[in-house]
Amino acid sequence: MEDLAKTTDVFSVLESRGVSRRSFMKLCAGVAAAAGLSQMAIPRVAEAIEKSVIGATSGDLYPVIWIEGASCTGCTESFAQIETPDVATVVLDVISLNYSETLSAAAGWSVEEAKAQTIEAGNYILIYEGAVLKAWGGNALRVAGEVGTEALIEAAESANAVVAVGSCAVNGGWCAAHPNPSNAMGVEQFLAEEGIKTPVVNIPGCPVNPEWIMSVLVDVVMLQDPGLLKLNDFAMPAGLFNQTVHDNCERRGHFENGEFVYEFGSEEEAKGYCLYPLGCRGPQTHSPCGVTLWNNRRSWCVQAGSPCIGCCEANPNNPGDNWVQVNAPFYKRFRDLRVGDLHFQPEPVAWVLTGIVAAALVVHGFGMKKTGRMDGGADFEPIRKWDEAHPEQSIGVYADPKTGGPVLDPAICEENTQHAAAAADEVVNDYEKE
Amino acid sequence: MTRSIIDPITRIEGHLRVEMEVEQGVVTDAWVSGGCFRGMELVVQNRTPQDAAQIVQRICGVCPVSHAHASSIAAEKAYGITISNNARLVRNLIEGAQFLHSHILWFYNLCALDYVNPLDALNANVPDTYDLAQAAGTSMDTDFYGLKEKLEAFAANGQLSIFSGNWFDCDNGEGYKLSPELNLICTAHYLEALKMQARASEVAALLGGKMPHVMTLIPGGTAFVPTESKLDDLWAMVNEIYDWVSTTMIQDTLALAPAYTDVLTFGKGCGRYIAWGVFEGPGWPYGGNYTEQMIHRYLPMGVLDEELNVSDVQEPLITEYMGHSWYKGDGTYESPYFVTEPEFTEYNVEDRYSWVKCPAYDGKPMEAGGFARILAAYQRNVPFVVEQVDAMLVALGARPGQLSVLQNTLGRTASRQIETLYIAGLMKEWTQELMEAIAGGDSEYFKEPLTTTGEGTGFWEAPRGALYHSEKVTNNNVDGYQIIIPSTWNLAPMNADGVHGPMEQALIGCPVQDVEMPINALRTVHSFDPCTACAVHITEPATGKTFKTVTSPWGVK
Amino acid sequence: MAHLAHYREAHPMIFVVTHWINLISMVWLIFSGFIIHYPFIPGIMGICRGSHVLFGCILFLNMIFRVIAAFFVKTSPTGGTRKQDTDYKSWLPQKDNRHQALEWIKYYLFLKKDHPLGAKLGVPQKLSYLLIPILILIMWWTGMCIWAPVMDMGPFAATVNFVGGAMSMRIIHYYLMFVFIIFMFIHIYLANVESFAPTKLMFIHKEHGGLVYDPELHNIVGEDMNPSKDK
Repeated sequence: MEDLAKTTDVFSVLESRGVSRRSFMKLCAGVAAAAGLSQMAIPRVAEAIEKSVIGATSGDLYPVIWIEGASCTGCTESFAQIETPDVATVVLDVISLNYSETLSAAAGWSVEEAKAQTIEAGNYILIYEGAVLKAWGGNALRVAGEVGTEALIEAAESANAVVAVGSCAVNGGWCAAHPNPSNAMGVEQFLAEEGIKTPVVNIPGCPVNPEWIMSVLVDVVMLQDPGLLKLNDFAMPAGLFNQTVHDNCERRGHFENGEFVYEFGSEEEAKGYCLYPLGCRGPQTHSPCGVTLWNNRRSWCVQAGSPCIGCCEANPNNPGDNWVQVNAPFYKRFRDLRVGDLHFQPEPVAWVLTGIVAAALVVHGFGMKKTGRMDGGADFEPIRKWDEAHPEQSIGVYADPKTGGPVLDPAICEENTQHAAAAADEVVNDYEKE
Repeated sequence: MTRSIIDPITRIEGHLRVEMEVEQGVVTDAWVSGGCFRGMELVVQNRTPQDAAQIVQRICGVCPVSHAHASSIAAEKAYGITISNNARLVRNLIEGAQFLHSHILWFYNLCALDYVNPLDALNANVPDTYDLAQAAGTSMDTDFYGLKEKLEAFAANGQLSIFSGNWFDCDNGEGYKLSPELNLICTAHYLEALKMQARASEVAALLGGKMPHVMTLIPGGTAFVPTESKLDDLWAMVNEIYDWVSTTMIQDTLALAPAYTDVLTFGKGCGRYIAWGVFEGPGWPYGGNYTEQMIHRYLPMGVLDEELNVSDVQEPLITEYMGHSWYKGDGTYESPYFVTEPEFTEYNVEDRYSWVKCPAYDGKPMEAGGFARILAAYQRNVPFVVEQVDAMLVALGARPGQLSVLQNTLGRTASRQIETLYIAGLMKEWTQELMEAIAGGDSEYFKEPLTTTGEGTGFWEAPRGALYHSEKVTNNNVDGYQIIIPSTWNLAPMNADGVHGPMEQALIGCPVQDVEMPINALRTVHSFDPCTACAVHITEPATGKTFKTVTSPWGVK
Repeated sequence: MAHLAHYREAHPMIFVVTHWINLISMVWLIFSGFIIHYPFIPGIMGICRGSHVLFGCILFLNMIFRVIAAFFVKTSPTGGTRKQDTDYKSWLPQKDNRHQALEWIKYYLFLKKDHPLGAKLGVPQKLSYLLIPILILIMWWTGMCIWAPVMDMGPFAATVNFVGGAMSMRIIHYYLMFVFIIFMFIHIYLANVESFAPTKLMFIHKEHGGLVYDPELHNIVGEDMNPSKDK
């Protein structure tokens, strides 16, 4: 039945003879054009379309394919909120967004064909949103009758660069949080596993901030100079992600002053005090939220009264370090630690352990008191147990090699109590003479 | 007999496939498949309800606020608290901003391209366009000359961008029926809408920090405390949005409807509706009576049968069946806390073909969405809705109260504009109410839990329809979590008796001229505003041991 | 009652100073660390943060100095004697302690009645004192890893990455503080439980009489009841 998913039954026959889906799509397009189905009102467009569904394969606009993996579409949504320039300008004047599951006018096979033709023409950027799912052989995500991972490989192979937008695309995001049921991971790690060498740019965030995507597009598309794009160790734009939220926070002054909000919706909140006690993740989250702000620079999490929950934290090489896992519970100072199904806050464990040690010492103290050791300790053993058992290798010299006992020698005793002090006195005397 | 397939369905949220059997130009059978599994309920397991509210909104980037809201309501019921009146207003405003954002984006930027051909707008005569806009009473904020020039430059470049692979020439060029002038107006509004949906999101960001995924809507109330400057900004923006919505959306719908009267003839669906209600009402808090609370929401709760008789929701009547979905077993489970375990087999429309489960109310499939809300509000006599629906019916040539005229693809699409206008007006009301409450000295925004062990259900609405979050909390730890999302209702596969889901039923009977570009099927799918990322999710199995556990204290490596 | 005499030669003045520095730094680091973790007293965050970094570095440098000094300064290798040897030797295994580890543990668990004969540091003490410089080093390193001005430097950033992010690093830093607290509890308890004489010697250089022990015979050789008058 799955083969019926392709436009007609013919395809399953062709496929069995080794004809790829893409070439079949091309064939279809050719047939459609020959049948005169594609008569556009505007000759220029119609002429282009007879050759391809994406129009001209090159022009003033930089071709972009935007694939949604296991996404919530939040990053596309976020991109649609961009105001400088607005999204219409971006898709009509800057890039040729040839494939987008949310914005494309086309649907079904024709949009898939637009993607195939863009890939064939080359010189495009792939923007990937959402996690890569590997569960059930990639079937946790199915698009156009194929598994999601295949679509990614196909589009990434010939791209100039892959831009992984949003924390899910960077390292699996919340999808990878315990217990990671769909086996989610990030694009960079997945492509490395598949041996695909296309460079990856990671832009984390849940969702991604459209200004950050735009800053990458400006470097690569408008200035035509990917060299402008300095990346850090996580392949994230260094200019954006090398400082923490805390570094640039508008409430940082209150932090240093020690003026805090201890309860949501309180009077301190109205004064704009620091949200640190409510679990703010600003100090360890690398992101420029407080600088770029969100939604046409209208506001951002901290300005609106919510502590940062660290949604930009994403180590591309480790889905386990997704932002949910390293930050939840969000409103506590620390994350939870997990051992198997057990999860706990770090503080109580430390306090309990310390308490146990303190209690043990108190109990021990009573033992010391009971055994009469508090007043100078117990009497010394007359002989080391080992010396007693091995008189021929004895460490100490005893009054009696068998039963032990101190060697009471006033001369050595004198030497022991005077020796160093006397020497020190001499040193002082010498110094004074000089 | 031919198969027609649309995969992927674009201009929706998530991954969706529609497969149809077409006989003599009409769909005779249909299967809708949700393509992505992520396992949300498993992830929120063993976390705090506060974290759950933050994480669940990541299920969907279009309606995150609704998920945070429903989750917070569930947590508040479990905590035994009722939020303050100020928190109610702030939360209504954030939710309203998201509804406006979602509805504007959906109608103009996702749905309209099924009816409007922006490339044909190049043929428009601009003076005629101004005349037409004036006659239709729709807004003329855009410079139509400038827009036409911009489109000409775009066409001259030749790259099609988002119009790549478009279906504008479908049905032998007969599929798109608007005049070039109307196409130009609608294209102008497409571009204005892109700005206006962003403005609506900006309202959500003002109150919630950012959008998508707002930060201040938390169990117990809101972390946002309004200041005077924020209220000024809020007032200015809600007015701007209202002014735009009130001069475009219904006018444009009525202007394009005459060209597409055939779309009024198909896409009815199952004809039964559910709405759990949204926007907490002015008589807050209704003495803790949940049913009263839901009935008095601005858009009230209602379960509507085939005759559109309205009744109150009864939680135990909600069930889920998964015999046609990629989960183990084929049992039917009762609300709340269904026990399911994902297991992909293969795509087979005779057997299992979707990640979406099949929910039922009283054993029957139900349609959820803006249309369901409007019908419930009409039957519950919400004055604004009754007045506007009757006016629309008259404009469509029917008589007031003849609701069956709207039970189809175009009716479903059109009725949402009434809802948009209603909410845009309410936003102004709530802002004023909030200003008055603050002036009156009311300053409570957040409440601490009274207990940290309990159970609660959040009956709420996303822009796409009835949303249900239910959670069981022990010592502030989530033990069980269940979500039923509007698109799960609408995109449901066949139930145990072989009855198709609402969207499948709506597709059956759609005229399809061209199986390669079944535009009417696409219009029907878009009329539901599907959201598949939300629709697919599962619950923790009772044992909790199904998935690999990890031993590293730092989590999954 | 029986204990060895406490002579200044066991803790020369320079080590009394380093010990004071350790005490003050650790106490302030722990207090300011708690404030930084959760500001239960508002208003002093800036003071705590600045001084936390300052004292962290003082503790670290003091540790470095103390370790280097161990190779140059002479101290008594055991209690009850004024004889001195290079200090680091009393950190390493000494003949006096050979085969005595189990005896020390048995003594503390009340399984042995007599006090074991030994050197300045008993076996468990010696092991824990060897770990303290390493602990201070790790503590300083983890602290640097979460201090904004240097956290992005290669080695620190790599360590943060290795442990799974800044949050994990914070928790490690926090747990290590509790290792210090637990060490201090045990250290203070054991130093004082039998008498306060060792503490007086350590902090105010006050001597105290007792048995005299010869480091060459590895045994007690007499008694000295008036040590301070000897000087």
